[in-house]
Amino acid sequence: MSITEYNGGCVIGMAGKNCVAIACDKRYGAQYQTLATDKTKVYKMHDQLFIGLAGLATDQQTFYERLKFRLAMYSLREERLIKPASFGKMVSTLLYEKRFGPYFIEPVIAGLDKENKPYLFSSDFIGAPLLPDMDTNGFVVAGTCTEQLMGMCESMWRKDLEPEELFETVSQCLLAGQDRDCLSGWGAVVHIICPDRVITRTLRGRMD
Amino acid sequence: MALALSNAFTAMSREARRHERRTKNPANPELPAYDEEEMLMKFAMPGPNAPDDFLSGAFAPKNANDSDPALKFLHGTTTLGFVFSQGIIIAVDSRASMGSYIGSQTVKKCIEITPYLLGTMAGGAADCMFWERHLGRLCRLYELRNKERITTAAASKLLHNIMYSYKGYGLSMGTMIAGWDKDIGPNLYYCDSEGTRVKGQKFSVGSGSPYAYGVLDEGYKFDMSIDDACELGRRAIYHATFRDAMSGGRVSVYHVHENGWTKISMDDVQLLHEKYMKEAGRTTPAWNHM
Amino acid sequence: MGDSDYSFSLTTFSPSGKLVQIEYALNAVAAGSTSLGIKATNGVVVATEKKVSSPLVDESMVKKIAEIDNHIGMVYSGMGPDSRVLVAKARKIAQKYMLTYGEPIPTNQLVREIASVMQEFTQSGGVRPFGVSLLIIGSDDKGPMLYQVDPSGSYWPWKACAIGKNMVNAKTFLEKRYNDDIELEDAIHTAILTLKEGFEGQISENNIEIGIVNDQKKFRVLTAAEILDYLGEVE
Repeated sequence: MSITEYNGGCVIGMAGKNCVAIACDKRYGAQYQTLATDKTKVYKMHDQLFIGLAGLATDQQTFYERLKFRLAMYSLREERLIKPASFGKMVSTLLYEKRFGPYFIEPVIAGLDKENKPYLFSSDFIGAPLLPDMDTNGFVVAGTCTEQLMGMCESMWRKDLEPEELFETVSQCLLAGQDRDCLSGWGAVVHIICPDRVITRTLRGRMD
Repeated sequence: MALALSNAFTAMSREARRHERRTKNPANPELPAYDEEEMLMKFAMPGPNAPDDFLSGAFAPKNANDSDPALKFLHGTTTLGFVFSQGIIIAVDSRASMGSYIGSQTVKKCIEITPYLLGTMAGGAADCMFWERHLGRLCRLYELRNKERITTAAASKLLHNIMYSYKGYGLSMGTMIAGWDKDIGPNLYYCDSEGTRVKGQKFSVGSGSPYAYGVLDEGYKFDMSIDDACELGRRAIYHATFRDAMSGGRVSVYHVHENGWTKISMDDVQLLHEKYMKEAGRTTPAWNHM
Repeated sequence: MGDSDYSFSLTTFSPSGKLVQIEYALNAVAAGSTSLGIKATNGVVVATEKKVSSPLVDESMVKKIAEIDNHIGMVYSGMGPDSRVLVAKARKIAQKYMLTYGEPIPTNQLVREIASVMQEFTQSGGVRPFGVSLLIIGSDDKGPMLYQVDPSGSYWPWKACAIGKNMVNAKTFLEKRYNDDIELEDAIHTAILTLKEGFEGQISENNIEIGIVNDQKKFRVLTAAEILDYLGEVE
């Protein structure tokens, strides 16, 4: 078993029209033993920017703390909010810094830029960025059930989803995907980032 | 000493004659009572010298560091069985996992061997299904031949003999055989592909068994009602599906009694979860983060 | 810096609370040829005198204005060699920012970084302050910017500003000429006129240098031919 699968869990990001979604499951386990069912993996960086971290939980925490630090320093220095694209680059370089002793995490970033255009980012654990083509593949996935999630997204996603449609789509993709994975599930949380607000909803999922 | 030996030899020759009688056709003593070809299981076998080596090579983990001996067999399941005053309860989940992938949530892990015998399935699904179906056939033949039901002890022994004869060839099975024997009552055996066969009152088999045992041991009483016993089995499996990532799907409960077995229930784990949470006055932990 | 017995800071307080080393550095700046900058609504310009020590020097090959990144440029007054150290550092800072964030460094961030380098050289052991003041121009999301950075590490954003030998007169001139609605073309003319005011000898396309950041956020140094055209326009 790969160390990235030790704790289990998954994250999914999906683009809509002037909105973007990011969602995760809630399982925290030690291999096949489920230890907690309230472990969310999506963190808010600022009002229009969220990051989801799948992979080894201890590295998720450390990496998130480092991101918070870097972002606080950035805001103080630059007196502005970081752009999603710059944040993606920052995450990428931060991961590559540990090229020879990596964090065992796969990040997913979802944000809205100044023009309310959705931004999605994912990478492997040493920072090779994957920026999806928003016209044909407006989604990214990470975690222990990427094949399932990818398959769901391929068939469910379409362009220019409105916030509520996007919520429905991303939720169904996540739930269906994690229901075929032993190491993910036990509930889910979805965030829909809109220009004026963020809709956050907790989903009931299978508890087995 | 000599007497003991001669007794043993006498017993052996008596057994041999009995065997002769059984296998000869009464109408034509030269013909066997059944087609031996039919009984002979023919499998392609790995090279004769080192089946173990062949199999350990074929089923070796992809990566040398990935040895998972604990999960080599009996994975992806929770099954349990216990004897009580009214018979035996068998409860099983229904998930089939291939590594961390969930292949199915609707597997029948309780195999109905005969109307009086149940077998459970843990480990390799193909192994369990095939050999327990085979056992069913042997039991039926026994019944036809002897005009009485095979005992649970004998049936489990048949299965055990097969598994033992294939020991080292990579079979993966962990099974309970439960039945009601005439004039004796309920009997529960545990057999596995390592060659174990034990009689007992309470068993749980599979990756979720530690969790099931926890609930089972806590709630078990010999003198419980059928309903309470069924609920105990159901609850034990439910808790195992909650904690064990490789168990899940549906909980099936069987009751083995004087007149054979009865399937009591089959419930989706999710509905059980919601019911139990409601009964406990709890909701799934609220999301309070960031 | 070094670990030798002499690697103590050369910049030390005088009893009256001044850092005379920095004042000497400013003297070096004040002795340097004049540079000036003007921020316009749609761009920003810097201009500088190119004073050479001998008529035999090939003026066309002397460069005082340096490109830091596509959208940022820099000019100095004071000691040329010192400025080149800062140009090298500024370019590295800009590229590091691009590497980290994938976007061009905002002007104020570049200025802050380079100012902190200059400050470090007033406090570190074994080094002396830089003998230059800088004018840094650039354009980003916040629009065109003009900054001055001094040897002490102080920096200011300006609408228009001058450094070097003639700075006092030039600033007075700019104060009179500047208005908030000035456009880049006008700003270039004003820059030339300001330089011309205190110019010793005849101004020409070869003895001044002009750098601009246009409304496309592109920095470039004007060619001699372009300067010649502008000189013709201000006649």
